[in-house]
Amino acid sequence: LYASLLNGQSPPEKPKLIKCRSPGKETFTCWWEPGADGGLPTNYTLTYHKEGETLIHECPDYKTGGPNSCYFSKKYTSIWKMYVITVSAINQMGISPSDPLYVDVTYIVEPEPPMNLTLELKHPEDRKPYLWIKWSPPTLTDVKSGWFSIQHEIRLKPEKATDWETHFAPKLTQLKIFNLYPGQKYLVQIRCKPDHGYWSEWSPESSIQIPNDFPVKDTSMWIFVGVLSAVICLIMVWAVALKGYSMVTCILPPVPGPKIKGFDIHLLEKGKSEEFLRALESQDFLPTSDCEDLLMEFIEVDDSEDQHLMPRPSKEHMEQGVKPMHLDPDTDSGRGSCDSPSLLSEKCDEPQAYPSKFHIPEGPEKLENPETNLTCLQAPQSTNGEGKIPYFLANGPKSSTWPFPQPPSLYSPRYSYHNIADVCELALGMAGTTATLLDQTDQHAFTPSKTIETGGEGKATKQRESEAYSSEPDQDMAWPLLQDKTPLFSAKPLEYVEIHKVSQDGVLALFPKQNEKVDAPETSKEYSKVSRVTDSNILVLIPDPQAQKKK
Amino acid sequence: MSNLLLCQGNFCTFLCPHGDDLCLNSLKDLFNRATNLSQDIYNLSSKMFKEFDKRYAQGKGYITMALNSCHTSSLPTPEDKEQAQQTHHEVLMSLILGLLRSWNDPLYHLVTEVRGMKGVPDAILSRAIEIEEENKRLLEGMEMIFGQVIPGAKETEPYPVWSGLPSLQTKDEEARHSAFYNLLHCLRRDSSKIDTYLKLLNCRIIYNNNC
Repeated sequence: LYASLLNGQSPPEKPKLIKCRSPGKETFTCWWEPGADGGLPTNYTLTYHKEGETLIHECPDYKTGGPNSCYFSKKYTSIWKMYVITVSAINQMGISPSDPLYVDVTYIVEPEPPMNLTLELKHPEDRKPYLWIKWSPPTLTDVKSGWFSIQHEIRLKPEKATDWETHFAPKLTQLKIFNLYPGQKYLVQIRCKPDHGYWSEWSPESSIQIPNDFPVKDTSMWIFVGVLSAVICLIMVWAVALKGYSMVTCILPPVPGPKIKGFDIHLLEKGKSEEFLRALESQDFLPTSDCEDLLMEFIEVDDSEDQHLMPRPSKEHMEQGVKPMHLDPDTDSGRGSCDSPSLLSEKCDEPQAYPSKFHIPEGPEKLENPETNLTCLQAPQSTNGEGKIPYFLANGPKSSTWPFPQPPSLYSPRYSYHNIADVCELALGMAGTTATLLDQTDQHAFTPSKTIETGGEGKATKQRESEAYSSEPDQDMAWPLLQDKTPLFSAKPLEYVEIHKVSQDGVLALFPKQNEKVDAPETSKEYSKVSRVTDSNILVLIPDPQAQKKK
Repeated sequence: MSNLLLCQGNFCTFLCPHGDDLCLNSLKDLFNRATNLSQDIYNLSSKMFKEFDKRYAQGKGYITMALNSCHTSSLPTPEDKEQAQQTHHEVLMSLILGLLRSWNDPLYHLVTEVRGMKGVPDAILSRAIEIEEENKRLLEGMEMIFGQVIPGAKETEPYPVWSGLPSLQTKDEEARHSAFYNLLHCLRRDSSKIDTYLKLLNCRIIYNNNC
């Protein structure tokens, strides 16, 4: 021994166990690193014992794993058991055991890379082209029985690129790669990992050349998409062109200007007075239900034998042979309670009093229509305080209803809010057309002067406009005063209703101003009994039964 | 792949007597979920062990104490592939159930005691909590499936009882850490066993050894 020491020989240095690995959880191999051999031939012995056992075994196979290794075959491999492994270096001088290594095969699994990596380019019809990668599980792993479970990872890159593109493929043995660049050579590698263990090494590179004409994308689909988009664009452009304005207004509606409800300038400009007035009418200016709410009333002075109920004015007109005096078919409008059945029944035999339509007479100015004696009177600017003076329009003797030869649907009793002047002009304009409709017997001018002249009771309750204008009605029964919106419609000769008398009851007896052709007494009409005065100072007149009877 | 080729054997015919696809697919799905759970439990316990080892056990040699320390070592579990393949699936099932049951209690205490450890990393605590939860779930699922196949499995079969609580609560920090190390080491191992057995059963029963 002394001689060995003098020779510089010594026991070997402790070897060191590096690692142990199991490729498939069925066998494993351990490697060690020898130390200095101490100048003497050194043998290494690996010994081990298992957890729960006391028996010490020696390595069964030093060869298979290469130098400085120990291979444990299936027979010697147990899972879920700790191995305590020691390697000893032995030389003539001594034995040097290594530190023990505690190994549980379960946790040292590191498989081989997958095998048989194959690459194939596929280009099916009607679908996107792709690279089809296939492989087999690594050796020594039993996947089929479930003893070994693997996950995979593939990476590829164009040959000259630096970064890899990585894909994960759990449990499968194939993968499809899309969107490859044509004309490139791709390198592909794969590795795998067990469920409890380490990743394998990367497999050797496989390469594949993508041909230049390899379509990157499914072109037919893109062609279809492009055509469809073009068609849609064309349709949209066409739609915009056709309806550009309305679309713009839809998106950016114009700011509405001030507007009178029902007042349509355009209709007026066009001269469509009918529609214009109708538009106004439709705004419900005229109260429809209650006589007291009436701002405007119609009085129809009926001096003919034919007494018909209001509800059928148009018919009556026709019967009179008068051309379309066409009252608004809605007979309720503007007539208020005067129209109510009770009232009507009352008036059955008598000249009916329709809600009167007051026409604001014109004071100074008169437009005369020689044919029809239609006078368009301007409402006096200076009102006599209360307002305008109503203007009664009475029928001619033979007409039982409306005095107005209304062109169809134009002059409706509801046009109470029209601007009188405009209406006058309209009426005049229409006058010519309706001249023939006029009852020839009724040729009365609306001249205030005339009306004033007519006699009658001294009471101021004469109905002539001028009189009404010039003199405040002394009566308490104010004339129904019209706001400045009465329509003037009559193209027909209007009859004046002259106040015949005022009876003690406060009944106003009226009769038309007759012309020569009319039989005065016969046609003296007792017009209206004042039924009441409305809030807006409108006199509601009804035929005076007493007066009629007296006749 | 037609289910007719798969899932043969008594197990399938027992659980799906009519052999209809719906039943077989449900069974397949059940096993799939079970293996996912067991894999997850293993991953968690593996990480937890490594974390603890790095933090508390370096150079301490706790491993020597951990040998033969698992309370479940009395269970006759197969220890290599051949043994496992020769083990009847009913035996495997009861082993799985026994393992799962025997870990209920230790997992509960593990969470409690880990919480009390000073400076314990959250990685350990959170994983402990999750493992406890998933273990319960897996047990429920397995009792549901296996309980129908194994006679008497639903009854309270004896399973290994854990008695390591005192060592977890000892005042000696070294001893306590050693006890934790043991517990985590055994947990990792047993979760690996459960996972492997389930995957074996899955491939054997559902896929007819053709995973």
